[in-house]
Amino acid sequence: MVSGGIYSGKFGELRKLFNALRLRGYRVIAPKLEDGVIRLKEVTSFDEVPYGWEDIQAPGKYSVREGGKHFRHGPDAPKRILYPPRLELFRLRPDWSVEYPKERFPPTALFAIKPCDLASISVMDRVQGGIGDPYYLALRKKLIIIVENCVEPGATCFCSTMGTGPEARDGFDIAYTRLDDNLVVFRPGSDLGVELLSELNIEPATDEVLRKYYDALKNASLKAKAPFELERLPDELELGLNSPVFKEVAERCFGCAGCNMVCPTCFCFDVIDEPELDGGAVRVRVWDGCFSYTYAEVAGGNFRKDLWARYRHWVLHKFAYWVRQFGVFGCVGCGRCITWCPAGIDLRETIKSVVEWVRSRGGG
Amino acid sequence: MMRRKLKVAVFKFASCSGCQLQILNMEDELLTLTDAVEFTYFLEASRATAPGPYDVAFIEGSISTPEQEELVRRVREESRILVAMGACATAGGIQALRNWLRLDDVKRAVYPNPEWVKALEHSKPVAEVVKVDYELRGCPVSKERLLSFIKQVLVGRKPYLRREALCMDCRRKGNVCVMVAKGIPCLGPVVQEGCGAICPTFGRGCYGCFGPSIDARPEALASRLREVGMKDRDVARLFKGFTGWSEKFRKVINELEGGAR
Repeated sequence: MVSGGIYSGKFGELRKLFNALRLRGYRVIAPKLEDGVIRLKEVTSFDEVPYGWEDIQAPGKYSVREGGKHFRHGPDAPKRILYPPRLELFRLRPDWSVEYPKERFPPTALFAIKPCDLASISVMDRVQGGIGDPYYLALRKKLIIIVENCVEPGATCFCSTMGTGPEARDGFDIAYTRLDDNLVVFRPGSDLGVELLSELNIEPATDEVLRKYYDALKNASLKAKAPFELERLPDELELGLNSPVFKEVAERCFGCAGCNMVCPTCFCFDVIDEPELDGGAVRVRVWDGCFSYTYAEVAGGNFRKDLWARYRHWVLHKFAYWVRQFGVFGCVGCGRCITWCPAGIDLRETIKSVVEWVRSRGGG
Repeated sequence: MMRRKLKVAVFKFASCSGCQLQILNMEDELLTLTDAVEFTYFLEASRATAPGPYDVAFIEGSISTPEQEELVRRVREESRILVAMGACATAGGIQALRNWLRLDDVKRAVYPNPEWVKALEHSKPVAEVVKVDYELRGCPVSKERLLSFIKQVLVGRKPYLRREALCMDCRRKGNVCVMVAKGIPCLGPVVQEGCGAICPTFGRGCYGCFGPSIDARPEALASRLREVGMKDRDVARLFKGFTGWSEKFRKVINELEGGAR
């Protein structure tokens, strides 16, 4: 009988878990290799999950290779599922009556997402959930989360610094860790998780397995570090408002807002009314981003006309204002904005340089 | 709904007619559209024409001859809303490649009697000659944007079309960045959205037919492309393709090519 605690089993138990989710009627969204990139997509077979592949990430660079032990994440974050890039909010009929879209979100299981992405969901729970976004909440309440702890963080990962990984702490239904090819550690995080694990052939982890487990995660946490500490970071960054670093980095920035798009927590949106020829209209919500010129544009002016001001705002929002607004950092340390930046700009370096600038002036 | 039909005119200047064809390509919507819109001057569709004034005039093509300069000025006088449509009308088009060469050389290379050809020194975007109210970019213009524009004019609102970098739309759509994942040079980060990211969707880099986005920084993209190993000449060629004569791209091209023009 499974209750709380740590269990271990063979790799085949993961397949059983996957199939159990499908049998219960969940749409399973999991990492899936597509055209040389690990995506987050609906998968119908356990064999589609790219075990045996690994991704290689660096600022502005991404590739995969077969034969690796561990994959991390690709460009898609859970945001894409829970907070879709383009969402029809309602339709206005020609007689001006309003038609809301029918129930359109099937019960969904996120399978093998990473702890940073799990953390991004808890950030979204505070932001989108906190303001009561009905579209988000409709999806969220039907969500089950199976998270894969990260034994091998990638080169752009810094979850350890952000306190979001490499081990998932809470907010999941099941967390599992692949310790080697045929040894998987399972931890339930909810009643549903306990129920699902009860169907597997697993047993309480032995001391030896536990030791291996803790060693692996400790080792991983040493790797996923950024060159800064969180303590006092919000204050230090605000003292760095006038640091020349933002302008220097923004010289290399294209202002494409690609980082906004891949960021698992960036929530800015634009609402567009699209009139129809019959006299009706559709209202849609699309992802927008603070890097875009028009985002802070209002009648008569623009609050952040210069790209460096937009870049600075993004960094400060994630690492300072967000903390004051929502009680958490807006960054989960997934490193997507680094890997998927076509200019190869490394956020970690920016923060490090700003903090150094502040300290060199006796601030902080 | 009884309302006066919108009087729309479509004029062709130096162009291939591909943008006008996009109007005729609205096969599913064309019949409904003509309930609300009257094409009073649209030679690609009908030789029957009616005189102005027009509510909306779509201008296809660049301004390449003195006659065209004269004609587009007259169209401007007759039109409430003037829309530059497509890469030629908004940025000079592919034919603006000649702007980097000597006009006489080009004429001689193409025509047996070059002295008969009266051309302007440059193939110019419409906005260099008359005031343009709206731009619909692309080679060809996007059918969806064109339709959206007309629908918005029909309901009487100020047309809103996003003008940010293509990257946003590309990534919203769920494309994987071709620069990052495949090392393919792409103009998407500095080119205006609106095409639906056609080229990156098929694994190609953006060729830039929509021209610079609202706050584009092509100089930053150019230095990144050079940093990852592209030659100055190749970077210049990439920017030159469709909308090279747009002010922002032209500046970068000229710097890369060593200050010619």
